[in-house]
Amino acid sequence: MAMQATEQEVRGTFGERLAGFWRAASVPLMAILLAALIGAIILIISGANPIDAYAALFRGSFSNARAIGRTLEKATPLILAGLAVAFAFKGGLFNIGGQGQLLIGAIVAAALGFGLNGLPFIIHMPIALLGGALAGAFYASIAGALKAFTGAHEVITTIMLNFVAINITDFLSNGPWKDTGIVARTPAILETAAIPKWDSIPLGFFIAAAVAIIIWYLLFRTTLGFEIRTVGLNPNAAKYAGIRVARITILTMAISGLLAGMGGSIETLGVVGRFQPGFNIGLGFDGITIALLARTHPLGVIPAAILLGAMQAGSSQMQFDAKVSFEIIDVIQALILFFVSAEMIVRWILRIRGEGDGGVRLSSGWGQG
Amino acid sequence: MTSNVALIKNSSWLDFLRKTGVWISILVVIGAIYGYLTEPQITTSMLASTLRQSTPLVLGALCGLLGERSGVINIGIEGQMLLSAFTGFLANVYTGNLLVAVMVGVLTGALLGGLLAFMSVTLKMDQIIGGTVINILALGLTGFFYQTGLTTQGKLQPIELGPLASLPLVGPVLFENPPITYLAIILVFVMHYMLFYTRWGLRTRAIGEHPRAADTVGINVNRMRYINVIIAGGIAGLAGAFLTLEAVGSFERAMTNGRGFVALAVMIFGKYMPFGVWGSALLFGFATALQTQLQFSGTIQIPHQFIGMLPYLLTIVVLAGFVGRTRPPASEGKPYETE
Amino acid sequence: MRKEMIVLIALIALAMISGVSMAQDCASADVLCVGLVTDVGEIDDKSFNQSAWEGVQLAASELGAQVEYIETQDAKDYLTNISLFADNGYDIIVTVGFALGEATVEAAGQYPDIKFIGVDQFQGATVDNVAGLIFPEDKSGFLAGALAGMLTQTGTIAAVLGTDLVPPVVAFKEGYEAGARYVNYDINLISTYHPGGLDVAFTDPEWGASTARQAIDLGADVVFGAGGKTGNGALIEVAGTAGLYCIGVDTDQWETVPEAHPCLVSSAMKLITPGVFDIIQSVVDGSFAGGNVIGAVGLAPFHDFEDSVPQDIKDRLESIRGLLESDAISTGYNPGG
Repeated sequence: MAMQATEQEVRGTFGERLAGFWRAASVPLMAILLAALIGAIILIISGANPIDAYAALFRGSFSNARAIGRTLEKATPLILAGLAVAFAFKGGLFNIGGQGQLLIGAIVAAALGFGLNGLPFIIHMPIALLGGALAGAFYASIAGALKAFTGAHEVITTIMLNFVAINITDFLSNGPWKDTGIVARTPAILETAAIPKWDSIPLGFFIAAAVAIIIWYLLFRTTLGFEIRTVGLNPNAAKYAGIRVARITILTMAISGLLAGMGGSIETLGVVGRFQPGFNIGLGFDGITIALLARTHPLGVIPAAILLGAMQAGSSQMQFDAKVSFEIIDVIQALILFFVSAEMIVRWILRIRGEGDGGVRLSSGWGQG
Repeated sequence: MTSNVALIKNSSWLDFLRKTGVWISILVVIGAIYGYLTEPQITTSMLASTLRQSTPLVLGALCGLLGERSGVINIGIEGQMLLSAFTGFLANVYTGNLLVAVMVGVLTGALLGGLLAFMSVTLKMDQIIGGTVINILALGLTGFFYQTGLTTQGKLQPIELGPLASLPLVGPVLFENPPITYLAIILVFVMHYMLFYTRWGLRTRAIGEHPRAADTVGINVNRMRYINVIIAGGIAGLAGAFLTLEAVGSFERAMTNGRGFVALAVMIFGKYMPFGVWGSALLFGFATALQTQLQFSGTIQIPHQFIGMLPYLLTIVVLAGFVGRTRPPASEGKPYETE
Repeated sequence: MRKEMIVLIALIALAMISGVSMAQDCASADVLCVGLVTDVGEIDDKSFNQSAWEGVQLAASELGAQVEYIETQDAKDYLTNISLFADNGYDIIVTVGFALGEATVEAAGQYPDIKFIGVDQFQGATVDNVAGLIFPEDKSGFLAGALAGMLTQTGTIAAVLGTDLVPPVVAFKEGYEAGARYVNYDINLISTYHPGGLDVAFTDPEWGASTARQAIDLGADVVFGAGGKTGNGALIEVAGTAGLYCIGVDTDQWETVPEAHPCLVSSAMKLITPGVFDIIQSVVDGSFAGGNVIGAVGLAPFHDFEDSVPQDIKDRLESIRGLLESDAISTGYNPGG
């Protein structure tokens, strides 16, 4: 009897879970389909064959181990950049500076990667990885401290610090940390600092995914996470509840920067093998897209990053096979983001009754001092 | 009692701001005259460059300002500028008529403003997502439909304003500019007047600060938000037209290069006030002109990257040291639900 | 509804997987296939990508080659893009830009039967199947600087440049300044690099234009625009004021930037197009050799300014060209040394 009950219970929960999963997944899936459909119309207008294009995109991102490896490789920094933005959003901060923090993380990881000699892999790689992450944390906490102590809006300071980071890294890679020869780049990192690949599957991806789970735990299962979310929802209420808002603001920015910086570290240690200007472009801004696609949920960041990573990984194949320029990817991305967020439309198409979770509200934290 | 204190504090703070504004203006004028007397050529070239660099930022920031004053955050300025720059350029290529081309640019911006309003007002989507959608969409569309080898016959040329243009210093700096530059300056004054001295302005600020109250006195909040965000989009479109039809004369993919985001910073920096926005855009333009001048003169022997950081560091220092906290319109970011 | 959607998804997935098989005639030995991978940037950048592609297209029309290009979107895709050509049986792969140097050498190791042409890629060690096409840009810049130094009336000349992260830009600049000083020691040289990163330095015509304007206001009457579309923005700005000269870069920009005709007196060229074509031809006739190939540089024709440039300036340029060629004068540019 007891056994049966449990079994039924399990089946019930499983069924419920399936339904829950379907509810969660149906909107994004439909959004992707709708976006692909409109993308197809644009492709037809421009004289290309959408089926060829999408097939090539798929081949370039999932058709074999190498392609899957490439997709995961692209998704890795996107997970971390997306987490950085999502985490800051949870604390009521809009970190547009992921790009700058990522660059700082990437170059510091490179410096530790080529500069420290004689360490075994088990020590060297983690030091370089964490060193880059901490550098990103430090860089972001500048904006956090300015916000906490002077009220300077983080949107301004992080945008400005992005430009400053480009100048700093350009200077370092073309000055004190320059490789021999005429090319502006740092020396290659040592073997002991490199994040290995298992066949063609990059291990960095699993580091990033693990970090996403840790961030989820931190946000939803710890006191600190509760405090961060409280400040994000209402800093005044948080203050009355005895939370030290300034401290939380700086900490939120620092952790956000830590994540972005780690994204840069993994790029350096797992993909590029050194720091070279121009190799980490656009990742910070993709992070905003990913955080929004994931509705700022740390675990939602993983599928969102894989989706974008796959599109980026397949774009060359699409260009080669179907003669479609890669910018169509951006159009489709924008449409996916639109449909995911414009739930009203998708729900109407799917005829899902009832209200959803009402979507995310990030912009309420925009101006709070 | 408490509210009284706050009020007094508030007004003295405003007083202080007004006074510092006056002082800064006087300092700037003295500096400019001193510069002109000692180094006339450098001063003239730097101030002219300041004005020019500030133009797209002023326009972009005014677009953001109008939206936020109405309660709609717009981080899609970059995309609005880029797509407008593109369509304005295409119109110039195919019609050869610059006026038509500018109109097309402005209309494109307004159309994207309409899209933003649709997303944030009708669909009640998160406004930051709405802006991001526009940014990515513009990047994708302009890149995808970009055609090679298009050239135009010309761009907007400077108009000398009669005898004013022959005045020393101010002549070449202020009165010898192409039309969109003039328009940007005029718009600053118009926007200030409209926002603070007209019924429309009162209503706009009302729906940004307290839409519920505005609704009860009979203002159609959502319609007003639509109209304002569309007008704001048109202003961003003008900024795009500035890039392709006045400043350069040709289009390049992603040529906005972050100016829309800098405009966003300029808007917050300017405390959501038209003159504040103008001042901070000029500050940023000046810092950019200064860093070019420092590289030109080559007198400072430090790596040029450190000179390149100047505009950004200056902005941060001024923001943290002198401007501090900004208070945005209270209801921005929130869709308005009628009861 | 759900069922319908599942069917729809399944159909689309099926269509994607089945795909279309490509024409694989490049695998056949009879067909000469040449692929080109751009640096991050566009095939029509009016600069090195475009010049190299024109060289490849010349191979199509002259040698009947089948040609194709891939625009690189992300610098981390260099090797992926090269592999796309290699795996499809291409015989020659042209990679454009110094940044692809490492990926090209790596690919050359993986695909020893394919010949690689690396534009702007200096070969430190010779790899048998990689030819690095490099140019003494400093000499080209030297000639442009000499021309500017002789043309200026105000004694002030300017250079609006991409970024010093790109070695050829530095070479052009150093040569330009040395050339101007060579003919006019007291000349006032004002030059500036773009303050942004690699992703914007070559695609910011607005910055190029306003910087050129600032230089003109400082009295510069000859402006050298060297930095992709950024430099082109400078050229177009100079063209808006009568009586000024501008000098283009890389190719004969008379062809690529018609908006600059009113001021474009010449361009500091590096002849990538014939350089690429010659190496492709060397593969066809079997004389291909790995290592560095030094391409030709020089000034572009004066076009509409043919009559207004005085004969003595032309003569002087000719003599300087001879001296540079015989290494009788040095530009003073010594990278890495």
